[in-house]
Amino acid sequence: MSTAERVVFEHVTKRYPGTGKGNPGAVEDLSLEGPAGKVCVLVGPSGCGKTTSLKMVNRLIEPTSGRILIGESDIANRDVIDLRRGIGYVIQQVGLFPHQTVGENVATVPRLLGWDEVRRRARADELLKLVGLDPGRYAGRYPSALSGGERQRVGVARALAADPPVLLMDEPFGAVDPIVRERLQNELLRLQERIAKTILFVTHDIDEAIKMGSLVAVMQVGGHLAQFGTPDEILASPASDFVARFVGADRGLKRLALVRVGALELRPAITARVGSDAADARRRAAADDFRYVLVVDDDDRPLQWIHPDRLPAEGQVPATDDMAAAPLFERQTTLKDAFSMLLASDVQAGIVVDGEGAVLGLVTADMIGERMRQAS
Amino acid sequence: MIDFAWLADHLDDLLGRLAQHFVLAAIAVGVGFVLSIGMSIAALRRPRLRTTLVTISGVIYTIPSLAMFAALVPVTGLSTLTAEIPLTLYTLLIFMRNILAGLDAVPAEVLEAADGMGYSSRGRLRRVELPLALPLVIGGVRLASVSTIGLVTVSGILGDRFGGLGFFIFEGYRRSFPTEILLGAIPSILLAVVVDVVLVAVQRRLTPWSRSNPADRGPAQGLPQAMGSSV
Repeated sequence: MSTAERVVFEHVTKRYPGTGKGNPGAVEDLSLEGPAGKVCVLVGPSGCGKTTSLKMVNRLIEPTSGRILIGESDIANRDVIDLRRGIGYVIQQVGLFPHQTVGENVATVPRLLGWDEVRRRARADELLKLVGLDPGRYAGRYPSALSGGERQRVGVARALAADPPVLLMDEPFGAVDPIVRERLQNELLRLQERIAKTILFVTHDIDEAIKMGSLVAVMQVGGHLAQFGTPDEILASPASDFVARFVGADRGLKRLALVRVGALELRPAITARVGSDAADARRRAAADDFRYVLVVDDDDRPLQWIHPDRLPAEGQVPATDDMAAAPLFERQTTLKDAFSMLLASDVQAGIVVDGEGAVLGLVTADMIGERMRQAS
Repeated sequence: MIDFAWLADHLDDLLGRLAQHFVLAAIAVGVGFVLSIGMSIAALRRPRLRTTLVTISGVIYTIPSLAMFAALVPVTGLSTLTAEIPLTLYTLLIFMRNILAGLDAVPAEVLEAADGMGYSSRGRLRRVELPLALPLVIGGVRLASVSTIGLVTVSGILGDRFGGLGFFIFEGYRRSFPTEILLGAIPSILLAVVVDVVLVAVQRRLTPWSRSNPADRGPAQGLPQAMGSSV
């Protein structure tokens, strides 16, 4: 795989004749850098110039002023056909060639670059596998025989065919239903972990931007860059009223989706193995303001919660089925999911377990609230 | 009513006239196709040229065929050219409309994807636009062929050496001999039907991709739009 290249906008302006500043699709003095190997999302309402900005990178639209660099080189000095063959391009309606098979579609840029038939075929098969389509089943089909999600995957495979350092994606998942969109988003994120391309991704959906972007550029009508930063920065401290309104009143909740349980300092659980000394467990529970005791098995896997009053004064910790040991979190669980599960549970603490299911500690709703306040 | 003995005597004539009919039609359709492809490509991104060419070919189409054959005799004499010029000119409107409709119907997102991936404009035309226009283009060939096969009979007005099967119709009419009229009429109808069936097969062969989608099954649906009622 080739190395990814950064994409830099330097004071890029695009005006359309006759209508002056602020017309839909115009871009005003845009400067930002999409770092190599990262997903940089351009997000904003329609007419904010996000698609115009994207299309200036492969010169489907030429800027009025300013310059765009890929790596260190100014794209204005490149041959436009060469430039485009070196940039992956995915659009909302996919634009597969209906008269060519899936395999031929994927091999489009390799064919334009003059690769021989054998190499093209091998590359098409490799890419179909990469996007999760079995080449044996799909390579010979025509696009009309594919579902929307399959077409979009083929579109991504086609864009990656010549291993371009930069990928442009213009609302790539805008035309598929929400369930398929969610799956395609996850697939792209997993794919990106392997290919590490520089991706410029355009969307009007702030949730998609937050999910997909390492960096998010919020644009507003008139083509102004309203804010450029990590998703957490944008949600935690919107730079203007426009950004605050655009990200929505629930931005606090949205931030929860960005942080995982592993980022919290876990509260130690008061655990007691079945058959251990009940009096000792009661003593430890009394010393802690979260009173419940977590009964665990010999491998420290949670069995159930028990209130100290229900522990016998002497003797052993019993194996009751008093209160289910739930909810269970892993380190990778997002705070959003964790918070949601806590709201629905009897005990106001979630149990964090490791890969083997052994208890690591507890998370409470207060801890999540505290974390959100710290970071803002 | 039908004089079978006469028919049996004239089977050789029939084959000769059939071949002549086919050749007269094929030349007109072939030349008309090449001219129309060139004009359509030239007109594709030039709206004013496009309007001019479509208008001119439309006006030509309205000229009655007998009148056009007759008008050319003082210029080109009783030559093959006199037969072929009108036959060819009448195909232009059919071809231009279908070719342009086919090129217009290429989805915008397909063109955008082609541009974004680095097709040159010539490469895009050759590898993307023309192949996708093919169902309507072949639809144009079908229409032009059938209509030209009909018109070839009219060129019989120019004399014995022309008209293909139309010769029998004219002569049968002159001699008030219905058997001869039928000898011209029925084979010319059959010729048109056979040519159309062959072209449908050619289209299926050339556009396998349009078969996998039941909603887009070639020219049958496209034709009414392409050849509008303004003819």
